[in-house]
Amino acid sequence: MRKLPLISDRPLAKAGLNSERVLMPNKGPGVFEEEIDGIEDALGITTVEKAVAWAQSNSMWPDTFGLACCAIEMMSIVSSRYDISRFGMERFSSSPRQADLLIVSGRVTHKMAAPLRQVYDQMLEPKWVIAMGACASSGGMFNNYTVLQGVDKIVPVDVHVPGCPPRPEALMEGIVRLHEKIMAGIPPAYQLRGVAQ
Amino acid sequence: MSVVERVTKVYEGSRIPSPIPTVLQVDTQKHALDDILTINFGPNHPSTHGVLRLVVDLDGELVAGVSAVIGYLHTGFEKTMEQKTWWKCITYPERIDYVSFQVNELAFVLAIEKLLEIEVPQKATWMRMCLSELTRIHSHLVWLGTSALELGAISMFWYTFDDRDATLDLFEMVCGTRMHTRYFQAGGLAEDIPEGFYEQARQWCKKMPKAIDEYEAILDRNAIWLKRTKGIGLLSADDAIALGQSGPVLRASGVNWDLRKNMPYLAYDEVSFDVPVFPEGDVYARYRVHLEEMRESVRIVAQCIDRLAEMRGEPWIADDRKVVLPPREELHTSMESLIHHFKIVTEGYMVPEGEVYQCVESPRGEFGVYVVSDGGPKPWRVKFRAPSFVALQATATCMTDAAIADMIAIVGSLDGVMGEVDR
Amino acid sequence: MTVTYEGVPGLIETVEAHAETTLVVDTARVVEACTHLRDEQGFNFLSDVTPTDYLGWGARGVSGYIGTAAGRDMHGPGTQGLGRVPDPKPKRFAVNYHLLRLADDPVRVRVQAWLDDGEAIDTVIPVWPTADWFEREAWDMFGIVFRGHPNLARILMEDDWDGHPLRKDYPIGGEPVRFSGEE
Repeated sequence: MRKLPLISDRPLAKAGLNSERVLMPNKGPGVFEEEIDGIEDALGITTVEKAVAWAQSNSMWPDTFGLACCAIEMMSIVSSRYDISRFGMERFSSSPRQADLLIVSGRVTHKMAAPLRQVYDQMLEPKWVIAMGACASSGGMFNNYTVLQGVDKIVPVDVHVPGCPPRPEALMEGIVRLHEKIMAGIPPAYQLRGVAQ
Repeated sequence: MSVVERVTKVYEGSRIPSPIPTVLQVDTQKHALDDILTINFGPNHPSTHGVLRLVVDLDGELVAGVSAVIGYLHTGFEKTMEQKTWWKCITYPERIDYVSFQVNELAFVLAIEKLLEIEVPQKATWMRMCLSELTRIHSHLVWLGTSALELGAISMFWYTFDDRDATLDLFEMVCGTRMHTRYFQAGGLAEDIPEGFYEQARQWCKKMPKAIDEYEAILDRNAIWLKRTKGIGLLSADDAIALGQSGPVLRASGVNWDLRKNMPYLAYDEVSFDVPVFPEGDVYARYRVHLEEMRESVRIVAQCIDRLAEMRGEPWIADDRKVVLPPREELHTSMESLIHHFKIVTEGYMVPEGEVYQCVESPRGEFGVYVVSDGGPKPWRVKFRAPSFVALQATATCMTDAAIADMIAIVGSLDGVMGEVDR
Repeated sequence: MTVTYEGVPGLIETVEAHAETTLVVDTARVVEACTHLRDEQGFNFLSDVTPTDYLGWGARGVSGYIGTAAGRDMHGPGTQGLGRVPDPKPKRFAVNYHLLRLADDPVRVRVQAWLDDGEAIDTVIPVWPTADWFEREAWDMFGIVFRGHPNLARILMEDDWDGHPLRKDYPIGGEPVRFSGEE
């Protein structure tokens, strides 16, 4: 019988969450979970994680975080020639609560850094970040008092897409690689690393 | 047609708010302060055309007060350009108004050429004009797609962006990349025009007018579109001039002012085109100006292609070796060419001392570049007069008696690109 | 209607260069001069209000050696020198107003007023309301105070930013670029 990871192992407990699982740390998996466990082994179907990964990667909803020139190429990937609907991603969600993916497209200034972090925090786990373009990845051609030298200084980034601006095909490559990462079981960036120094 | 011929009085007097011309403050006579709800639009908002933040005082659905907060995309272009040589600087202006990138390059390059007093070959002038008009169409297509999207006519986005991709194909063929092409140099063009361009551009010129007719057919008979744009966001001609508006916003208020006709640059006085002017001063008039301008731009592009096809084989950049790189073949045989190449690449060319203000008609209005040179390899000061910066100042004036849904239409119709506003 | 600059109040000098006219006016009489140009000469359109900081003007020295007296500029390639040292400027800041007569016979002119650090200049919002944000940007970027401006606040930088970025003594900022070969 496989023990599922307990919520008390995860940071939520430290954040002050008082749920049943936290209050009763020795509570094991329920009856249903144990039944499912057995069925998967019996029938040899894909594990829950793989199914979940498939679902996550094939219907990821990006958040509309277009800032500058890269936003125009991001809009271009929504258009009919470089269709993003084939990935199930045409539903750009303006509300971060309903978004899975934050495509930071464009230069991030110090003034914009606070709203960006706020939007990122409002997204629900699991969430991924693509830093699109040279400016979001590393500050681009602007190394000055106002441009953040890479958005990975404030949010953990999964995929960096180079280009100024990256062609829609390049952004697609980034999206496909992100999907491959998820399917391979690599956790989102916030579980692996923090922000850059 | 004279500059002020088609002006009709859209409203009496002036609606510019006072004491701050750019902030609409709550009129306590009309709205009780208890009813006011202050909310924040943006900077991350689907309908604000980039990172614009509007702090809005709402009385129910009516906008009682509005003020714009900008600066979320302030990239420090002007200070950064003071650190780069003139040649490297040309990549920067493109990213300022990232939707009409070649027009910004053009303004900067024309300013440098004014200071250098260098003569640009005819072929370069006509190609610059052709690409400027293609950029104008590109910008209007993006505007139309996104503005219609914000007002709910979602399918327009896909129609206009498909034609935008066809336009970007032309850019890619000539300049090597879709956006931010960096094709204009001080003295002319970076490279010769490829042979297949003329044929593909002619095909595009045949296809575009039908596409524009299609857009008109989709929107102009749509009762919702008409209801949401007619009579909304009124701006009279006097207010528009006082507020420094230019481009489609000014022409939609009845003022016949277009830099291409009234103060021609490049070869605009040698091509025939009309300037659309509408007197109503509302969002619908601005939409019509954009649409008609697209048709006129296609006419100009067709004329440019015909003229360029005659100029095959002519030089595309000036011959001044102190400013322009020599052709690579010469580097093998000529010592002077090698020295010129070395000096231009490492140190950069020197632009004589002086200050100029060069403006062009960008798709948004008068895009001006003020350049101060001290005679050295880097600019001393570069200032960009962005038309969107000025257009956003008019939001408070246009917003008299607007509902919150109208606010989206008005901000969209002023065609602001935040990269320009914040620089 | 031909334009004449003789009657402009506070006019110090008229400079013609590169087919452009620059009117240098006395800083204390800028609003008078602008009102005269708008009402008498028809300059109804203000294109731009641009300050320029001339601190360090002409300090680069003449071409022929690498670097300057202050040291080598890390952003700069090759020599830093000029062919000829430019003429010195009267004061540190110049505020340029680019005016346009929007009419059938259009004319452009530049009005220039010189200021020292700490000097204030009157706002031209009463003449052209469009000057509002231009002057705010001038305050934000250069620290030039516009007397009488109804809302002189930061516009491009954050509200609590320290310093005025486009001044010549403000550093460019940013991060030093680390090359992996060095480590």
